[in-house]
Amino acid sequence: MNYIPEKRHPSEYKEEDLRVLAERIYELDTKVYEHLGSSLGRVFTKDRERCVEELVWEMLARNQGHIVRSDLALISNMARTIRDRQVKKELMIEYDKILSDVTSLPTSFAEGDVLNEQRSRLNKTNLHTRFSEKDHTIICIGRTFGSGGSEIGFTLADKLKINYYDAEIFSEVLRRLEAEKDHVHDKGGFPYILDQENKDRYVDTRPAFATEQKVTFHQKLKEFSRYHGLPKKDAIFFNQSQLICDMAKKEDFVVMGRCADVILANNKIPHISIYITAPFEQRLRRVMSVNPRLSEKKAREMLNRLDKKHVRYFKFYTGLEWGKAMNYDLCVNSASYGIQGSVDMILRMFKGEEE
Amino acid sequence: MSIAFCIPFIGILLCIAVMPLVKGEWWERHQPLVAAFWSLLFIIPFGIVFGAGEAAQTVLECIIGDYLSFIVLLFGLFCVSGNITMEGDLAGSPRVNIILLTIGTLLSSLIGTTGASMLMVRPVIKMNSWRRHRKHIMVFFIFLVSNIGGCLTPIGDPPLLMGFSRGVPFFWSLHLLPILLFNMLVLLFIFYWIDRKKYCREIARGRVPDISKPGTRISIKGLHNLIFLAMIVAAVILSGILPDLPVFQTSEGTVKGIHIFGEVTLTFPVMIEMAIILLAAYLSFRTTSGEIRKKNHFTWGAIKEVAVLFAGIFITMQPALMLLKSVGGELGLTKPVQMFWVTGALSSFLDNTPTYLVFLTTSGAMEFTNGIITTLGQIPVGMLTAISCGAVFMGANTYIGNAPNFMVKSISDENGIHMPSFFGYIVWSFCILVPVFLLDTLVFFR
Repeated sequence: MNYIPEKRHPSEYKEEDLRVLAERIYELDTKVYEHLGSSLGRVFTKDRERCVEELVWEMLARNQGHIVRSDLALISNMARTIRDRQVKKELMIEYDKILSDVTSLPTSFAEGDVLNEQRSRLNKTNLHTRFSEKDHTIICIGRTFGSGGSEIGFTLADKLKINYYDAEIFSEVLRRLEAEKDHVHDKGGFPYILDQENKDRYVDTRPAFATEQKVTFHQKLKEFSRYHGLPKKDAIFFNQSQLICDMAKKEDFVVMGRCADVILANNKIPHISIYITAPFEQRLRRVMSVNPRLSEKKAREMLNRLDKKHVRYFKFYTGLEWGKAMNYDLCVNSASYGIQGSVDMILRMFKGEEE
Repeated sequence: MSIAFCIPFIGILLCIAVMPLVKGEWWERHQPLVAAFWSLLFIIPFGIVFGAGEAAQTVLECIIGDYLSFIVLLFGLFCVSGNITMEGDLAGSPRVNIILLTIGTLLSSLIGTTGASMLMVRPVIKMNSWRRHRKHIMVFFIFLVSNIGGCLTPIGDPPLLMGFSRGVPFFWSLHLLPILLFNMLVLLFIFYWIDRKKYCREIARGRVPDISKPGTRISIKGLHNLIFLAMIVAAVILSGILPDLPVFQTSEGTVKGIHIFGEVTLTFPVMIEMAIILLAAYLSFRTTSGEIRKKNHFTWGAIKEVAVLFAGIFITMQPALMLLKSVGGELGLTKPVQMFWVTGALSSFLDNTPTYLVFLTTSGAMEFTNGIITTLGQIPVGMLTAISCGAVFMGANTYIGNAPNFMVKSISDENGIHMPSFFGYIVWSFCILVPVFLLDTLVFFR
C-alpha cells in the first residue's frame, strides 16, 4: 500500500516536525553510507547537528525546497547500488516515505514579521529565553583600522572578565599547521593602548590578510603539501574557523575580526556581532597620533589600502559585504562615543539584557 | 536512403535527454526496453525496404565491427581503474582542480581519453567531496580529459587510431600540441574563475575541508593495476597495427577472421584486442582486494547503463552514417574551417570514428598534390589538422559525443554529484566550448 502523508496547513507545521524529518533524511544517508562502505558519494559530510540544521532551514526557506529533493535523489542514487536486496528494499521504502513527506510540505512558511528567526536565534541577547546555560558569551568585533576597535574589544573583555583573542588564534593555527612562525606575522590590526607593556609587539606588524611574501618554487611545493593543496590563506582560514568553533564550545571570549561572526553563524553558535568604525578623518588622526613616524600621505594610503583589503578578505571568505550594517547586530561609530564610551554602551546593552 | 530512417536515432537521443527528467525511476528500470524499441523501429522498416538480409548485415556489422570492441574497451578500463583507489587529504580547491585537470588532459594522449577519464574521475570526485556544487568540475573534466586531451597521439582517441591505420604517421598528431595547449589554457582559465566563484560560495556557507592533520598524505592502492592498464593500451595500439600485417590479411587484401554473416567478419586483430583487454580485466579483479572496490564505490551501474544505451545508439545511428558516407563527398568541403566545423558538428552526435573516416576519405579523394601521404591519398596538413581536431574536440559537445562522456556522467551521478541533464550539458558546451572553438577557427583554421 502506498504511503500517503497527511496534508497540513503551513501554520500547523512546527519546526520540531521539520527537525524530525531532517533527522530522518540524515539517518537515511548515514545508513546508505554504512551499507556501501564508501564515503565517495556521501551527501551529508558534516556533523549531524549542523546537517540537520541546514536541512530544516532549506525546508523552511521558500526557494530552497528543491535542494532537499535533490539531496534525496542523490541518496537514492547511492541506495540503489546496495547489493543486499533486503537492505536496499528497506532503505528505498524509507526513502519513498521521506520523499512523500518532503513533497507534501507547503511551498512557503512565510509570515509578515521582518524577524529572521535563524539570525535572531544566534543573537546572544536572546539567550535568556532561547538557550541553555551551557552556551558561552562570545562577542565578535569587526572594525576599521584606526577606529579603536581593538582597544574597545580588549577593554570589553577586561570588563567582562573573559578572554580576548586576536593574534593568539593565528598563532594557534600556525602551530596546528606546523608552519614556520618566523615567516608569518599577525599581531592584530592596531596596537592597543591598554597593552602598554608589550607595545613593541604591535608596531610594524601585519594583519592576517596582508600580502604574502614572495617564496621560491621549492617553498611553494612544501607549502602545497603542508596546506593540503590549498592556498596558505585559505588553509589558515579553515583552521581558524575550526579553532574558533572549538573555543566557542569551551569558553566565553571576545574575538577580533577573522570573520568570526560569519563562521559562528554558519556553525549555528550564538554570539553577538559588533562592527566598529569612525569617520575617515578621525581614523587618520588617530593613526597618526599613535604612530607619529607616519606622514599624513602614508597614513592615508595605508588606511585606504587596508580598508580595500578588509573588504576583499571579508567578501572572499563570507560572500558578504564588510561593514554593511545589515550584516551585524550592532554598529558603533566610535567617534561619537570614544573608546570608553563605546565600551560602556555595549556593556549597558549587554548587562541590561542579563538583568 | 530516406532521412526518415534517422527518426529512431533522434527518438533514442530524445529519450536519453528527456526521460530522466520526467520519469526518472521508470527510465532507470526500462532502459534496455527503450533501446530495443528504437532499435527495432529502425531494423524492421529497414528490413522491409532493403530486405531482411541487408538489415541483418547492417546490424551485425555495427555490433560486431564497432560496438563489441567499443564496449569491451570501455569495460576493461572501467574494471581496471575501479581497482585503483587514491586516499589522501588533498582538498579540492581551484588550484588543485586545475592541476588534476592538467594531469588528466595530458594523460589522455598517453592512455586514451577513456583510460584517463576512468583513472582520474574518482580521485577528482573524492578530493572535492567536501564541496556541494561540483557539476562544473565534472563538465570541464569531460571537456578536457574525456575529449580534447586525446588529440596528441593515435592512442588518445579512436579516430586518430583509424587515421594511423590509414597511413597517417604515428607521431604526426604531436603537431596538434599548440592547438591543445591553446584550448587547455583558455578552458582552464575559464574553469578557474567559475571554480573560484563556486569555491568562495562554499566557504561563505561554512563548508570546510578536513585539513585537521598537518601535512598532506596521499596513498594509492592497487597501483599494480597500472600494468593491466598498459596491457589495454597495448591492445588498442595492436588493433591499429595488426590489420596491416600480411599475416592477418587474405590474398584479396581483406583482414582475416571468423565469418559471421554476409560480409560481416569478426577479425582476428579485433579478437586479439578483446582477448587482451578481457584478460587484463580478469587479472585485475583476481589480484585486487575487494576492499579497494568498496572504497571506490565500484558498481556495475555505470557500465551497464552505457552498454545498454550505446547498443541502441550504435544501431539507430547507422542510417545517419550511411547518409553521411553517401553525401560526405558531395558537401563541397574544401577548406580546413569547413572540415573543422562539419566534422565536429557531426561528431557531437554521431560516432566520431566513422565521421573522421568519411571526411578523411573525402579529403584523400580531392587529389591534393601536397601534404601527408596516406593510403587514402595526399591530405594537406591544414585539412588533416581540421578533421582531427573537429572529430576529437567536438566529441565534448554532448554526452553521447564520446564514450567516456557518458561514463563520467554515470559515475558522477552515482557518487553524489548532480550532473546536468542532456540538454543542460549542451547549454554548458554551447556557452563555453563553442566560443573556444570559434577562437580556434580564428587562430588556426582561417
